[in-house]
Amino acid sequence: MGKFFILNNLQVKSTVKKLLQNRVLFLLLLIFIIFLFAGIAYDTFVTENNIKTVISNMSIDAIVTIGMMILLISGVFDLSVGSVLGFSAAINAVLIERAGFNPVLSIIIAVVSCICIGIFNGVVIAKIGVNHLIVGLAMLGVVRGVVMLIVGAGITRLPDSFLVIADSSFLKWKLPIWYLVIIAAIFSILLRKTVFFRRYYYIGGNEKAAALSGINVVTMRVISYAISAGLAGISGIFLSSRLAAAIPTLGSGLELRAITACILGGASLNGGYGNVLGAVLGTLFMGLINNLMIVSRASISWQRIVISGILLLAVTLDAVIKKSGVD
Amino acid sequence: MKTYDIYHTSCYLDADMQKKPYIAFHGITKTFPGVKALDDISFDISAGEVHAIVGENGAGKSTLINVVAGNYHPDSGHLEINGDQVRIRNYAEALDMGISVVYQERSLVPNLSVAENIFADRQPRTLLGFINKKKMCEETEKICESIKLEVQPNTLVGSLIPAKQQMVEIAKALSNESELLILDEPTATITEKETEVLFRVIKELKRRGICVIYISHRLLEILEIADRVTVLKDGKYVGTHNISDVKIGDIVKMMVGRDLYTEKYKPSYEKDIVLKVKGLSSKRFFNINFFLKKGEILGFAGLAGSGRTEVARGIIGADSINNGEIYLFNKLVDIKNPEVAIGYGIGYLPEDRKEQGLFLNMAVSNNIVSGSLQIVSKRHIIKEKEITIIANKLKERLNIVCPNVMTRVEQLSGGNQQKVVFAKWLLVDPKILIVDEPTRGVDVGTKSEIYKIIRELSSSGTSIIIISSDLPEILSICDRIYVMHNKRITGELTRNEATEEKIMHYASGIN
Repeated sequence: MGKFFILNNLQVKSTVKKLLQNRVLFLLLLIFIIFLFAGIAYDTFVTENNIKTVISNMSIDAIVTIGMMILLISGVFDLSVGSVLGFSAAINAVLIERAGFNPVLSIIIAVVSCICIGIFNGVVIAKIGVNHLIVGLAMLGVVRGVVMLIVGAGITRLPDSFLVIADSSFLKWKLPIWYLVIIAAIFSILLRKTVFFRRYYYIGGNEKAAALSGINVVTMRVISYAISAGLAGISGIFLSSRLAAAIPTLGSGLELRAITACILGGASLNGGYGNVLGAVLGTLFMGLINNLMIVSRASISWQRIVISGILLLAVTLDAVIKKSGVD
Repeated sequence: MKTYDIYHTSCYLDADMQKKPYIAFHGITKTFPGVKALDDISFDISAGEVHAIVGENGAGKSTLINVVAGNYHPDSGHLEINGDQVRIRNYAEALDMGISVVYQERSLVPNLSVAENIFADRQPRTLLGFINKKKMCEETEKICESIKLEVQPNTLVGSLIPAKQQMVEIAKALSNESELLILDEPTATITEKETEVLFRVIKELKRRGICVIYISHRLLEILEIADRVTVLKDGKYVGTHNISDVKIGDIVKMMVGRDLYTEKYKPSYEKDIVLKVKGLSSKRFFNINFFLKKGEILGFAGLAGSGRTEVARGIIGADSINNGEIYLFNKLVDIKNPEVAIGYGIGYLPEDRKEQGLFLNMAVSNNIVSGSLQIVSKRHIIKEKEITIIANKLKERLNIVCPNVMTRVEQLSGGNQQKVVFAKWLLVDPKILIVDEPTRGVDVGTKSEIYKIIRELSSSGTSIIIISSDLPEILSICDRIYVMHNKRITGELTRNEATEEKIMHYASGIN
C-alpha cells in the first residue's frame, strides 16, 4: 500500500511539474478556474460586457508586456515602461491640444521620442554597463516627473479625430484589441522565426557565450530597449485616446504588472525563456484578477497587495521549478 | 619504490640538521568525482624550515593546502602536528592550531586601513565592547616591525604597492600567532624587487622558528628561498629533496616525468602565412609577435595566468588592445569585437565552456547552430527542421552521447559538452580556430576524440592555435610551440626541438 502511494505521489509530482513547465497550458487552466469560480460567486463577472471590458483593458497592457518579454528573454527588464507610456500620452496631448498639431504628426513625434528614451536606456545599460534595474528605477522617476511637468493636472480636451483611434470598433470588437492581435502576431512570428530575434534567446542564455559566438550584444540590447520603449509609446497613444485624456499618473505601476505577466507567461528573470503567447495570456490573467477585484469591490489597498503578491508568488515558483528542474 | 628511496636518502643526508617534524602527512588521500586529487601522500616538514611544494597544474598542491587548512577532509590518512594526530574540520580550527594560509587571491579589503585588515573580525575591544583603535594600531605596528614592513597602521591597503599588500596579508596571517604559514604563489603578482623584500621576511620568519610552506611555479625562487622541496605529480608524491642536492633540471624532470602520448605525427601545414601578429600589447600582455601558417597546429604553452588566454581574447577583439598590428592573409585588419573576428574567419573556443562557451539551459541543437544561424535560415527566417538535421549530423560525426538533440546541454557530461562546443565551431568552419584548454576536465577517451577532430580540421586547411597547460597534449599535437611567461612570449620551439623540460624552462622564465 505504502509503495503504491509513493509511486502515485511521484506521478502527481511529475505531472504538476510538466504542467508548470508548459506555461501556456498552465495559464489557460488558471484562467478557466477563475472563470469557473468567479462566475459562480459574482453574476456580474461572466457577462459579455464585462469580458469585453476586461479584454480591451488588458490589450493595451499586453502591448507593453510584449516589449517587456523581449527584454526578459535577453535577461534584463525595463522599469521605466509605465512612465514612458505616460510620457508618450503627455507629449502627444500637448502637441495636439496646446500646439495644434495634426494627430498623425504628433503621434509620430511622441512615439519617436519614446524610442529615443529607450535607446538612451539601452546605451547606458549595455554600452556603459550600468545595472539595468537601477537605470530603470531612475528613469521611472525622471520620466514620470517630466510627464507631471508637461501635463500638470491633466489634458482632457482631445479632439474627436484623435479619440477615433481607440473608440471605434471592427467586427464588434474595440480597435485596441485588434492592435494587440496585429502586434502580437508580428512579434510572435519575429521571435519564433527570425535570426535577428533568435539572438535574444542566446543572449539571455549566456551573454558571454553569445558575444563569443559573434553576436553584437551591445547593439542588440540597445535595439531591444528601443522596441520596448516604442511599444510603450504606442500603448500610451492608445490609452490616452481611450480615456480621452492625458493624466499625470497614466501607466504608473504598469512595469510591475508587465513583469509579472511575463514571468507567469514563462519568462525567467535569468533570461533565455519566453514567448509572445505567454506574455498575452499572462496579461489576460492579470486583467482578470484586476477585474475580479473591482467586481468584488476590493479596496485599492487590497488590489495592490494582491497584484504585487502575485509577482512574488510567480518569481518564487519560477525559482523553485528551476531548482528542482536541474536534476 | 624508487620514490620511497629518494625520500629516505634525503632524510639521511639531512640528519645532522634534522629537527623534530612540525607537521607530518601520513598517507593523505582525497578523491573528487572522477579524479584522485591526492593519492597516499606522506612527508613531513620541520619547524623553522621553508618547504617548497612544486608540481604542474592539477598535481594536487592546492588540494593539499586545503586539507591542511581544514577546507577539505582527507578520505584516508591523517595529519600529525608536533607528533599528535589532529583532525582539522574547518579553517577556524586550523587558525586555532596556528596554521595560516595566504592564498593567491588576496583577502584584503582595499578601502580599509592596514590595521583593520590585519585584525579583521578579531579587533581588540574596549571594556564597553567597542573597537580599541589605539591598541589595534599598536599591535599592528609591532607585527609590522617584526617582519620589517614599513607602513602606517592607518594607511589604506588599496594605496599600497602589491608587494606591501602581500606583506600585509602575511602580517595578517602572523597576527594569528601562526606556527605554520602557507604561501600559495606569493610572487605571482609582484615584481622582482618586491620579491626580494618578501624573501627577507621569509628568512626572518625562519629564524624565529616558524614553519613555511612555499608554493610556486617559479623554480628559481624555490632554489633561492627553500630548504627542501617536495614534488607532486598527478596527485602522487614523487619525492622530497634538500635544495642543495638538486638542480632545476632535476626538479623539472620529477614534475613532468611521465609517459608521452605516443600517437604518430604527420605535419599538415603549408607555407602560406595566414595570421601574423606584430608587437601586440595591452594591459595584460606585452609585445607579442608570432605567425601562423595555413593548416598549422600552433601551441601556446605556459603556466596559467601567463597571458595566453588574454592574447587570444585580444586578437578576436573581446578585450581591447593598446598597440600592435594583426595581419590576416597579409592584410592589416582591425578587429573590434568577436563579431568582426568571426566575419574574418577567426573563431575562439573559450577555456571555460560553462561560463563562456555554452548556453546550458538550451538544447544541444540550438547550441550547435548558435554561431551559424545564417546557415540554418533563408532570408533571415529560421528553418527549425534544418537545425535538427544539421545538429543530428554533427552529433553523429562527433559521437556526442545524448538522448536526442533537443536535450538541454546542462544534462550532458563534461566531455560531451566540450564536443558540443567543437560541433558549433565545426559548423562555423573558421579559417583560424583558437582553442583554449580544449581537454580540460574531460576523460581520456574524449581527449583522443578531440585530438582527432583537431587533426582533421588542420588537414582540411584550418589553422589552429591551441592554448594548453597540459604539456603532453602540446607536445603530441602541435607543429610549433610558443611559450609564454609573465605576459610575454619567452620562447619558440619547433616540434623537433620541443621537450617538456625546455618548455618548462621557458615557462618558468629562466632564460
